Amino acid sequence: MVEKIGVYVCECGPNIADNVDIDKVMETISSLPGVEVVERHKLLCSQNGKKFLKESIQEHGLTRIVVAACSPKQHEVTFMKVCEEAGINPYLFQLTNIREQCAWIITDKELATERAIRYIRAALRRVPFHRDLAKKEIETNPDVLVIGGGIAGMEASLLLAGGDRKIYLIEKTDVLGGKVKELDKLLPRMESSLNIISQKIQEVEQSEDIKVYTKSEVEEVLGFLGNFVVKVKIGENKELELRVGAIVVATGFSMFDLKQLPRYGYGQYDNVYTALEFEKMNIDGKILLKDGKPPKSIGIIHCVGREERGYCSGVCCMYCLKFANYIKSKLPDADVSEFYQELSIPGKAHQKFYEDTKAKGVNFIRYDEVEVMDKGIKYKTESGEEKTSSVDMVVLAPAIEPSGDTGKLAEMLRVSQGDGGFFQEEHPKLAPVSTSMEGIFIAGCTQGPKNIPESIVQAQAVAGRILSSLIPGKKLELEVKTSEISEALCIGCQTCLEVCTYGAIYFDEMKRVSVVNEVLCRGCGNCVGSCPSGAASVKHFTTTQLHQEVVEALR
Amino acid sequence: MNEKFVPRIVGFLCNWCSYAGADLAGVSRLQMPPSLRAIRVMCSSRVNPLFIIRVFLIGADGVLVAGCHPGDCHYQKGNYQARRKFAILKNIFESLGLESDRLRLSWISAGEGPRFAKVITEFTEKIKELGPNPAKEKVFL
Repeated sequence: MVEKIGVYVCECGPNIADNVDIDKVMETISSLPGVEVVERHKLLCSQNGKKFLKESIQEHGLTRIVVAACSPKQHEVTFMKVCEEAGINPYLFQLTNIREQCAWIITDKELATERAIRYIRAALRRVPFHRDLAKKEIETNPDVLVIGGGIAGMEASLLLAGGDRKIYLIEKTDVLGGKVKELDKLLPRMESSLNIISQKIQEVEQSEDIKVYTKSEVEEVLGFLGNFVVKVKIGENKELELRVGAIVVATGFSMFDLKQLPRYGYGQYDNVYTALEFEKMNIDGKILLKDGKPPKSIGIIHCVGREERGYCSGVCCMYCLKFANYIKSKLPDADVSEFYQELSIPGKAHQKFYEDTKAKGVNFIRYDEVEVMDKGIKYKTESGEEKTSSVDMVVLAPAIEPSGDTGKLAEMLRVSQGDGGFFQEEHPKLAPVSTSMEGIFIAGCTQGPKNIPESIVQAQAVAGRILSSLIPGKKLELEVKTSEISEALCIGCQTCLEVCTYGAIYFDEMKRVSVVNEVLCRGCGNCVGSCPSGAASVKHFTTTQLHQEVVEALR
Repeated sequence: MNEKFVPRIVGFLCNWCSYAGADLAGVSRLQMPPSLRAIRVMCSSRVNPLFIIRVFLIGADGVLVAGCHPGDCHYQKGNYQARRKFAILKNIFESLGLESDRLRLSWISAGEGPRFAKVITEFTEKIKELGPNPAKEKVFL
């Protein structure tokens, strides 16, 4: 069939018209085969312009449209809508960029005009090879999988559980509560951590919408926003398949392994404890040395592993001050020294907490280097002086690290790991709780070290993102320009399976060919670029379409 | 060097970074030699090495593939795949007796308008030094 192509050249006010000779463009283009009509307009994206375009398409009964105007990144969608309104499939249209790519970058009007003509010819040659593409919508599942039953995971679950969706909360250990459960008191008000976390656990357990699986781990994740299929391993040998629309990762943190740094004497000398061990001691009610006597002098060392990890964990200074308060309330006569490199105490309540702690007679010692000895701490001051402080107990504040299975989970979820190995957020400032994978969100220390209120804020943000995007009953529009693999041409090498980031290609063992799952395909065309037999193709960017475009562009 | 020779460079620009970078160069009115024929693709990984060879045989003097910086790919790992394909292609080019200097892979982000202009200008100069692509005449199809 011979196509009836309409070419519309936009002047974009003076933006294109000033530097491209539009009369010459029209004259050249109108003589080309297939061109039914060539029109110009002052501003095609205006209301008036769109109306003109729509009426002209209908009047001439066009089968293909070329618009020569601005960047497709700016108005491709605008003109696709006009095509739709005019009753022509929007994928039978091509927007060619004669503004950013011609008028604005070449001062010589003759050269810019020549280039504009070339780009329009390339589009003209491409459009006959365009095909009707249909919009696809799929049902979405509003249910949510939350990985990690700590404070962030529980908070997100509670907010999401509003009666119209199911929440599956997966916890690796046998209890909910995460690290917060291992803390004695919370600063600055020194309220019981257990009270707060128990209340949350109770709320989660009482919720009819939240189904908790303890001793469970995620085994496999397929799919994307709206339609994930997740395999979960429960206990030793039970397996469960869940279907959810979104996934929240709230797997928390681990502490820097102190065995890597022998200079802190951990595991080597008696009475050297990690922060969490010290919390445990306080939960149990008594601060005691190994021999059962109360310590007379305690050294608390900040910034352990900070240099090795390359970042400040941000929360240690404050909890170390809290530790001094633990000690002063239980052993008022004990001598307490805080050994720090830098003090990080931002926040509206923290300065006061610091001053109050200092007023209780706690020593603050800034060190440059520090080493734990048997019953003492050797340190070098900023001025290079070497000193020794005799202490009978040492508490260490190790850096916060991503929890041990972050790497495995990141790979499974196809989300990348960023600085320090933490999950990478979509944007550090503008999108801190979403990831590059649509429908997968991160909350709490899985995204980076943070304190409890910050983790809560992230969990709440995640809930907001999910509640506003995954609405029960609302359909999701799928990518139209997906890949397809020709059964006749496929040689079954499975290269495409290997390169596909989205797990969108599977291998049909019976037919020995690769097959695209259109729901998962995002249309990058990576498989097409890698296919050795030319079997893979991506709609709207087929090799034929690109070839035609290139041939004319090179003329 | 032939001063009048304007190289014909086909540039495959990824939709998310490099094409946007090219747009920004335009918005910033950065002047460039009229050598580029920009072809928009969704991802740099879309560009098949065989297709690049084809583009050469139909007369391109140079081919640029431009994508997002490593780690920034809209499709996560497409640019890494593009880099692999490109590395292989360079080898193939040399074994075919084609000039691999006529190929360029560049990372250009959406915010790097000036870098886009620089890449185009530099690459055009390079191709000018090499002269017109002799492959079109040499290779029989």
